[in-house]
Amino acid sequence: MSESRPRPPVEKVKRVTRLDVAIIATVVATLVYIYYRVEHVLVYEWDWPLVFEYMIHIDEVTGEIFPNLFLKGVAMTLRLAFWGTLIAAVIGIIMGLCRVSNSLFLKLGSRLYVELIRNIPPVVFIFVFYFFISSQIIPLLGLDRIEDTYSPGTLAVMRVLFGPTELFDNFLAGLICLAVFEGAYITEIVRAGIQSIGKGQWEAARAIGLSRYHVLRDVIMPQALKTILPPLAGQFITLVKDSSIVSLISVQELTFLTQDVSNTTTHFFEAWMITAVLYFMMCFPLAVLFQRFERFGLGIQKH
Amino acid sequence: MKLRNIFVSMIAAFAVAFSALAGAASQELASESVLEEIKKRGSLRVGMSTFVPWAMRDKQGNLIGFEIDVASKVAEDMGVEVEFIPTAWSGIIPALIARKFDVIIGGMSITPQRNLTVNFTAPYAHSGQQMVANIELAEGYAVEDFNAADVTIACRRGATPCNAAQEIFPKASLARFDDDAQAFQEVVNGNAHAMISSAPKPRFWMGNYPGKLFMPTDENLTTGDEAFALRKGDPDALNFFSNWIVVNTSNGWLKERHDFWFKTQTWADQIEEQ
Repeated sequence: MSESRPRPPVEKVKRVTRLDVAIIATVVATLVYIYYRVEHVLVYEWDWPLVFEYMIHIDEVTGEIFPNLFLKGVAMTLRLAFWGTLIAAVIGIIMGLCRVSNSLFLKLGSRLYVELIRNIPPVVFIFVFYFFISSQIIPLLGLDRIEDTYSPGTLAVMRVLFGPTELFDNFLAGLICLAVFEGAYITEIVRAGIQSIGKGQWEAARAIGLSRYHVLRDVIMPQALKTILPPLAGQFITLVKDSSIVSLISVQELTFLTQDVSNTTTHFFEAWMITAVLYFMMCFPLAVLFQRFERFGLGIQKH
Repeated sequence: MKLRNIFVSMIAAFAVAFSALAGAASQELASESVLEEIKKRGSLRVGMSTFVPWAMRDKQGNLIGFEIDVASKVAEDMGVEVEFIPTAWSGIIPALIARKFDVIIGGMSITPQRNLTVNFTAPYAHSGQQMVANIELAEGYAVEDFNAADVTIACRRGATPCNAAQEIFPKASLARFDDDAQAFQEVVNGNAHAMISSAPKPRFWMGNYPGKLFMPTDENLTTGDEAFALRKGDPDALNFFSNWIVVNTSNGWLKERHDFWFKTQTWADQIEEQ
């Protein structure tokens, strides 16, 4: 085994160099300066308790605790992120496979999709998609008035999965926008992963008589996964952050509701800072989780 | 003579067919009105945007405000539920046209440009634009002094205030923001000389920062007419909503609600700790 040969001891650098001191000093000085500006130059009356009220609301009489706008926004963002990730992954894998397929039609189709999305700014894409495409398709599928179609039980489940049912068509439009948009980037990640595997692997696998499907599934994909995983994880985290753009089409997620809070209270510094922390709290665990996955995945590959 | 008879009878036949068709068309028009849709659905879908004191969130996160009262009463009088669809202001007209909701009750001022795209009812409120300025930057300025090249005026984009600012102060440079709160903060911080926004917000804000801000004039800079906005081609709905406003203007209900939200601040404890 590879472990039998003793490794040379790794020398860990623990000394603080002059450069480190300089960097730390600069950071501290910047923070102090910002604090000074905020405290003495910026005319602003901070009122954290008022804005925190919009996180959770405690009923003064019964003492019951309700999630308020911020937490409702977080819930909506998580729904968008969860479904968005699933759909974007499916789109990305299918389109990624199309990108490397032998059929000219599939190749061109997937290329068109990727280039179209990648060369349009997300905000423009979302407006075009929402007002011209989704407002035609969704009523056509009868998804705009779901309250009349489904039983109360189904609606209760849908409320947990997709948020308020009366805004379901809006949610769906936002979700599809997000998934189609992120799917294009995942497509490229998948394509790059597959193409990173040397031609020799394909030829060798075909030579021992595996079909194209089996070559992909048993030979190429397990190796490609190693290349795909890190950028894919990054893309999923990007998806969570990008979900904020659907606030433009009035999906009631964290960014949209923060606008509501900041407009109502006019304490928008507090509101946006809280929102920044909330987004961080959603994305950072994902980053840690994917890091674990990566290590775990690579560990398995060794054997 | 025969030929002439045939000709006349043909015209008559056409006329009959045509009038039948026209009758059917006007019936169709009535049944296609959004009013029928609302009654069938059992709910009125109202597009609105957060804007103090028209529509805002109380401490429980519920919507309150002048508009919320108005829309709720409209729905009550129609015998249906009310559903609010909070919508980003810059996209509220496209969203109406894309049938995301039935009507905009959102403190929207009538402008000829907007009116080319949507229909407006009779006005249900007459608000004005007020101006609030930074004392340090603009001490002693009269209204006309703000019309100078070195003056910056902040306002919310895509809305009446920016247009008003452009008309009244053509020489000043405009700083456009997505929200009123940001425009206002620019003035408090001294990055803009003044900001323009719908009454009574500037006056409320001045009260929050005594000694920092002043109002160059107590008069409103402009007077606007706010109305419900509807999709074009629906005379029945336009007639209904307009007359609802006429009735509720005559009986004083609209004025009473308007005064409550705009002239007093007794509702403020629903948002802030006093």
